[in-house]
Amino acid sequence: MSYVHPEYLVETEWVAQNLENPNVRIIESDEDPLLYAVGHVPGAVQVDWFSTLQHPLRRDFLTKEKFEEVASNIGITNDTTVVFYGDKSNWFACYALWLFQYFGHQNVRIMNGGRLKWEKEGRPLVKDVPTFEKTSYRATEPDKSIRAFREEVLQQSSAKKPLVDVRSPKEYSGELISMPNYPQEGAQRGGHIPGAVSIPWSQAVNEADSTFKRPDELRALYEGKGIKPDGEVIAYCRIGERSSLTWFVLKYLLGYPNVKNYDGSWTEWGNLVDAPIER
Amino acid sequence: MSLPPKLQEIVDDFSGMTREEKLETLIAYAETFPPLPEWLRERRDNMEPVPECMTPVFLFAEHLPTGRIHFHLDIPPQSPTVRGLASILTNGLNGCTPEEIISVPGDFYLPMKLHEAISQQRLTGFVGVLGHMKQEAVKLLEKKE
Repeated sequence: MSYVHPEYLVETEWVAQNLENPNVRIIESDEDPLLYAVGHVPGAVQVDWFSTLQHPLRRDFLTKEKFEEVASNIGITNDTTVVFYGDKSNWFACYALWLFQYFGHQNVRIMNGGRLKWEKEGRPLVKDVPTFEKTSYRATEPDKSIRAFREEVLQQSSAKKPLVDVRSPKEYSGELISMPNYPQEGAQRGGHIPGAVSIPWSQAVNEADSTFKRPDELRALYEGKGIKPDGEVIAYCRIGERSSLTWFVLKYLLGYPNVKNYDGSWTEWGNLVDAPIER
Repeated sequence: MSLPPKLQEIVDDFSGMTREEKLETLIAYAETFPPLPEWLRERRDNMEPVPECMTPVFLFAEHLPTGRIHFHLDIPPQSPTVRGLASILTNGLNGCTPEEIISVPGDFYLPMKLHEAISQQRLTGFVGVLGHMKQEAVKLLEKKE
């Protein structure tokens, strides 16, 4: 058994062989925004989930026009193969990939194992920031078929359709709520969206090198919890980064046709007046 | 309430910087983050964990004979932002008295406008580290009494 869409995954060795390939752009997206400056894969550019990909004012992503500017500045065309990698088992690499797909970039890959595996293999990290000739990138209208908004999540929950909570067990149970004095990252209520099953994101990756688990292991993991390929699936976490990883696994490694990431996630749901919660 | 002079100096420096300068300065702080001293390495398991951080952060408060405090932290190199922020705290607070540390307001960093450079979440860890430093300072005062 192999992954359903293995073309969305490349190994570190493939990346090492394609560092000079003009049709390939390597993008680092990390949780820690300074990691890129400390050292990155030669020729890689940085796309920060926060400063690059968020709207400067509203709680939303950057606009289509702004995305076109970002893509043009890193010199990609609509046909460039874009390979994402990052720290924390590729959380934000998956998040950035998801957002590139949201704006219509089809040719995307994740570097299996991310930064951790690249480092562990003793591969080179450099400080030089590359520059590329500016392109005129044209994005498509946002692809809402991969992004869930709160109304939809409520309908999904009411209809008892599959919802996957990928946070840690303590966040799912509601034992962990935001700590006092930290309102900015917290939620007013703890628990999970009614009907959501708990499948922590980490169960999809091998701890030793951050690579994804084998296809049969992944299939058993999700199907064993009732998350099947037919029908719509919505994944969520706290801010949508960990669930991007689960979205990637379900969508491409397991080939589920209809998967959405709810990026509002618990920071929205746990603060939403009148939203149903289960503990 | 005034901040300890060294911390005040850092706050003032940051408040006048552009976003890029803030990032560069944080990297410089991260790169000068001191390794854990030899004598603490064996005692690593006795250090205080800081659970507010998504990164594993350990803190040890060394009580100097003068009654002042010197903090030692252990933070993995894969987390330069956390190292940089922690380094600001140790540079600003090491050598202070417990009273000075306890009186640092939890929002002292707001004039630095760090949110221009890094996300709010990172700042949660920053405040978490400060909170633990204060706890250690309280412990030292209680010991004295």
